Amino acid sequence: MLVAPISEAVTKIVSYRKQQIRARRVANSTGLWLPILLVFALLIGGPGFGNAQQAAQFDDLAGRAAAARDSGNVPLAVELYGQATQLKPDWAEGWFYIGLLQYGANNFPAAIDALNHVLELKPGAAPALALRGLSEYETGAYDDSLRDLDEGVKKGAANEPRNEQIIRYHLAQMLARAGRFQDAMLQYQFFASKHIDDPDLLLGLGLAGMRNTTLPKDFPAEGRELVERYPTVPNLHFYYGVLLFMHGPDLAIDQFKSEVEVAPSNAAAHAILAYALMFAGRFAEAQPEAEAALARVPDIEMAQIALGRSLAEAGDVKRATEVLNQVLKRDADNMEAHMALAAMYSRTGKREEAYRERLVCLGMQK
Amino acid sequence: MSGWFALGCKSSLGRLAASAGVAALIWLLWGFPSGSPQLAQTAKAAAAPVTCATCHVGVATSYAHAPMRHALEPVENDPVLLTHPRLTVEQGGYTYTVETKDGKSTYTVSDGKDSLTVPIHWMFGQKSQTWVLEKDGSLYEGLVSYFPRENGLGTTPGDGKTDPKNLIEAMGRKITPWETLQCFNCHATAASEGAKLTLDKMRPGLDCDRCHEGAEKHMADAARDNFSTLPKSLKKMDAQDTANFCGQCHRTWDTVIRNNWKGTVDVRFQPYRLENSKCFVGNDPRISCLACHNPHQPVNHDDAFYDAKCQACHGEAKTTAVAAGMAIKSCSVAKDKCVSCHMPKVELPGGHAIFTDHMIRVVKAGEAYPD
Repeated sequence: MLVAPISEAVTKIVSYRKQQIRARRVANSTGLWLPILLVFALLIGGPGFGNAQQAAQFDDLAGRAAAARDSGNVPLAVELYGQATQLKPDWAEGWFYIGLLQYGANNFPAAIDALNHVLELKPGAAPALALRGLSEYETGAYDDSLRDLDEGVKKGAANEPRNEQIIRYHLAQMLARAGRFQDAMLQYQFFASKHIDDPDLLLGLGLAGMRNTTLPKDFPAEGRELVERYPTVPNLHFYYGVLLFMHGPDLAIDQFKSEVEVAPSNAAAHAILAYALMFAGRFAEAQPEAEAALARVPDIEMAQIALGRSLAEAGDVKRATEVLNQVLKRDADNMEAHMALAAMYSRTGKREEAYRERLVCLGMQK
Repeated sequence: MSGWFALGCKSSLGRLAASAGVAALIWLLWGFPSGSPQLAQTAKAAAAPVTCATCHVGVATSYAHAPMRHALEPVENDPVLLTHPRLTVEQGGYTYTVETKDGKSTYTVSDGKDSLTVPIHWMFGQKSQTWVLEKDGSLYEGLVSYFPRENGLGTTPGDGKTDPKNLIEAMGRKITPWETLQCFNCHATAASEGAKLTLDKMRPGLDCDRCHEGAEKHMADAARDNFSTLPKSLKKMDAQDTANFCGQCHRTWDTVIRNNWKGTVDVRFQPYRLENSKCFVGNDPRISCLACHNPHQPVNHDDAFYDAKCQACHGEAKTTAVAAGMAIKSCSVAKDKCVSCHMPKVELPGGHAIFTDHMIRVVKAGEAYPD
């Protein structure tokens, strides 16, 4: 119930099938930004006029502009808002609507121009900053886009849930392009927390994870096609899985499995899959993955822990002890290794040893 | 959803132990044999719809009153709200009102100027009760819950530090899809498919198939006199597996350790506490969750009921060292109501309830709660 609308929204946002998307953009973007606009309008207040006739003319234009906007007649709405802002150049709300409508109509330079007016009138207005950043992204003014989106988010532009995804997605791309990969990953983490799974998102995430400054939309066409057929782009599932793992190993397992399918020789992918399966208590499945990882790289600790725990759960005391001792030899305070030993002793009826290992783990927590 | 999210579902590091039913429902142990052609024939003859109760009438009848069956109450028949048609409380500058009329319940929060009312669709808990609310496509944990001890509303456990800035925040704490999945999976049946929430298919409370995977197929096959597709037997699980199985909702030892949950709030995590006991060992059925608890029945609150369970190890004849390698001691203070001393009752902070600490031990006067 929750995930589906979010996925749909993100698909809408991040998809670059722009011919289809942009045709619907006016209506969509107006809807998206409406809550912000209401707040914005309240903040900036209504315009003042020197005489009643001018005020009446302005009211008429503003009313007709709003009606045209509501009916989806973008050219007329832009025209009427333009007339209204000529009458009252300090009407920030009118400029903002022009910016919004122009953005929706793919007239990005015009949108930027209108939003410049807004920001001259209301410096630091978060919605205008974010919308100008999105427009700059479309014109290729990436440095400007990063500056505006970054500042907009800092000022709370992403606090409105309905706009959060589009803003964060574009900001993440801009951060990665600027080489600020860690910051980009933090933005992508938002999508992981919402469990939003989308090919374009995965591509952007993967690029950031691989410390690649290429924008997803600039990714070679053949590569994009591969990404859209998930099982072919190395590392994307891996990175997305890592983000998901923070919310639940169960949720990450499918991504890691996909990664293993993409790159069967990727020892790290086998290891992290084994580790996630171990966390999920799926020890029988974890064991072969851990062994696959260790067959390629014998000292991956994550795989050793997963193998040791799996063997312990299966009652193979001798081998489990051997593997876990390898881990403990390097790191005597490895809690997962002690947890595995506790499980092994418990399962085999060694009550005191199990208790001792549990105490070791509890002691590490303090 | 007790504790509710803040104490358990808020798995900050996400080591969510996913979901699943709590205690193992062992039909063959407490119920009728699953392969009962005679009953199946009787059912067919009567042309009644086949349910688990068709054959397992005894266990189905008792389970109808078990807490897990009522982990989430049906919206139209929630005993708490039916018997409390109007609940109200003022706190934090907001007034909360929960009203039930014509089988429909609403949750209203007001700041004295404006108010917000949402329908209640999901009622978590049989005694203490928390409501999950929906607003604009997002789910929220109601900031107030019902507590039988006070017979009224109070702050939902874990949300005490919430400082709402507006009506929506005052209404409840927004819960992430992860939390939502876990909460519904532990309080309802068929609430998800993989990582996708399927509230349209959800059934309130833990139905048989929540724990007994394959029960539906078995039921369908049994209706055709095919008794070869039995669900996996849960009675074969050892104490460790049982603790892990129940711990999927009640929290495993691993989950608590990995999340570094500390303090008396973890008294709710019985498998974790039990495994912290000196006497716990995974291959001894006498210390299994099921040694003391029949998940198909209401919890027995008579301390004396558990004496035989304790004495299965600590009885007079069992004071010698056992093969497990630990000397089993008998109590020099008393011979009955063992749990009243060795499993003390602990007030759950902010929980408006007392929990039995499942860490079995010799409790010394004045000692701090052992993590």
